[in-house]
Amino acid sequence: MKFYPPVFEAKGLCYRVNGNEILKQIDLLLKRGEYAAIIGPNGGGKTTLIRLLLGLEKPSGGEIRLFGKPQKSFREWHRIGYVPQRVSQVDMQFPATVYEVVKMGRVARRGVLGRERPEDAEAVEAAMAKMAVSQLREKLIGELSGGQRQRVMIARALASEPEVLILDEPNTGVDAQTQHRFYELLRTLNREESLTILFVTHDVGVIAEDIQSLFFVNQTLLSSDAPAEALSCSEMSRLYGIHAHVLHHDH
Amino acid sequence: MLEMFEYDFMLRAFGAGLIIAVLASVTGSFIVLRRYSLLTETLAHVSLVGVAIGLLTGSNPVWVAVVVSMLAAWVIEYLRSYHSLYSDSILALFLSGSLALAIVIVSVAGSFNASLFSYLFGSILAVSSEDLLVMGVFGSLAMAVLLGLFKEFYFIAFDEEVAQVSGLRVKLLNFLLVSIVAVIIALSIRVVGTLLIGALMVIPAISALRYRMGFARTVMLALIFALVSVLAGMTLSYYFSLPSGATIVLVVLGIFVLSMVINRR
Repeated sequence: MKFYPPVFEAKGLCYRVNGNEILKQIDLLLKRGEYAAIIGPNGGGKTTLIRLLLGLEKPSGGEIRLFGKPQKSFREWHRIGYVPQRVSQVDMQFPATVYEVVKMGRVARRGVLGRERPEDAEAVEAAMAKMAVSQLREKLIGELSGGQRQRVMIARALASEPEVLILDEPNTGVDAQTQHRFYELLRTLNREESLTILFVTHDVGVIAEDIQSLFFVNQTLLSSDAPAEALSCSEMSRLYGIHAHVLHHDH
Repeated sequence: MLEMFEYDFMLRAFGAGLIIAVLASVTGSFIVLRRYSLLTETLAHVSLVGVAIGLLTGSNPVWVAVVVSMLAAWVIEYLRSYHSLYSDSILALFLSGSLALAIVIVSVAGSFNASLFSYLFGSILAVSSEDLLVMGVFGSLAMAVLLGLFKEFYFIAFDEEVAQVSGLRVKLLNFLLVSIVAVIIALSIRVVGTLLIGALMVIPAISALRYRMGFARTVMLALIFALVSVLAGMTLSYYFSLPSGATIVLVVLGIFVLSMVINRR
């Protein structure tokens, strides 16, 4: 039986800025094929944790391994698809068609000076088809609705044929109905494409039923219990430090 | 009309102008989209320090300007990337600082004369065979890097952070891009002049942006605007004895106004 190392593994991860402790002693393990979420209060360090895992910030201490390799020596970044929080803040004036944006996802695969090969065009077409944006290919990114833009950004991430998809607050600025369809789509990608998915959200209710691993981050990793337990009212109250009710809804 | 091409200096000037038009408009498209337009003005002022050193030491001012503006571009990019300083403040610092330094050096050299005037505003009479050779060599190198890394520069302009996560060496590529900008600006000072080159980099790009097309088409349109401006500007400069840089910039400004009118929203 083949052994697959964890997608992400963090041990004793710390992050300090000007002496302020943003994250301390985080131990996190994301296994291949998981559908996982990071939740926690605003300012609790959720986005910072993602940025540390992706190498966008340098940790003050601890160790990060990506696909079993130390982050410093990891070079296969095309295995990771990333959709940042700023999807809703894309520069509306930027001269980019949907096709041009999705094609950016192949830059890492093609390598420096790499010419476009037939498989690059195929991967771009496949990613656009999966996210149902093929018919928008000639549209400018600024002409799209929030939901369409979100799908284009995920298509760009998928174009590199990643093994894990990381999404930071993917539903910022997107209406409720689109959010619901969006989570269904993520779940389909996870089940049918065996894509490992990790996303940051503050909307606990909508993810509760499907999620396999839940990481609660508030300066440190407070809970990575089974979701059902972590999402109980008493546990939420303990984690957020206030009396909490969890409302399960599907928009 | 074609009589102007009977003169060697006009052929050299047109050759130089075409090289600059291509380089400035393609690079300018990336610079504008990265909200880094002021970099062009700053490096233009820095290249004046190179000109002043050239005049003082008797070296070729264009060569010295290439070296000085590239060094300054690296320091600016270093301060922007590794220190928490605001980009526009760093540019303001270099812009006024380098102009002050250039004026002092020129005063020491005692060369506040027509020679300096031609570097400030450009002159079609000023392009020597050596200048054209320097522009050909450095221009080809800059163009090769630009074309080779086109998709990487585009990705970074659109989303620097995601480009970094994709494995692109963003800091190194940023250093390369500002180096190219520095080289192009220094090369342009003969024809367009240090005070006006910024316009040739920025205005074709912002005019093309008004037409709301994809990136490849926008860059092509910016290139066409720059070529038309340089050709028309230099022709007008020849027939009406006007400074070439100023004439080119006025033509490209006309194209911008026209683009605004055509694409009113």
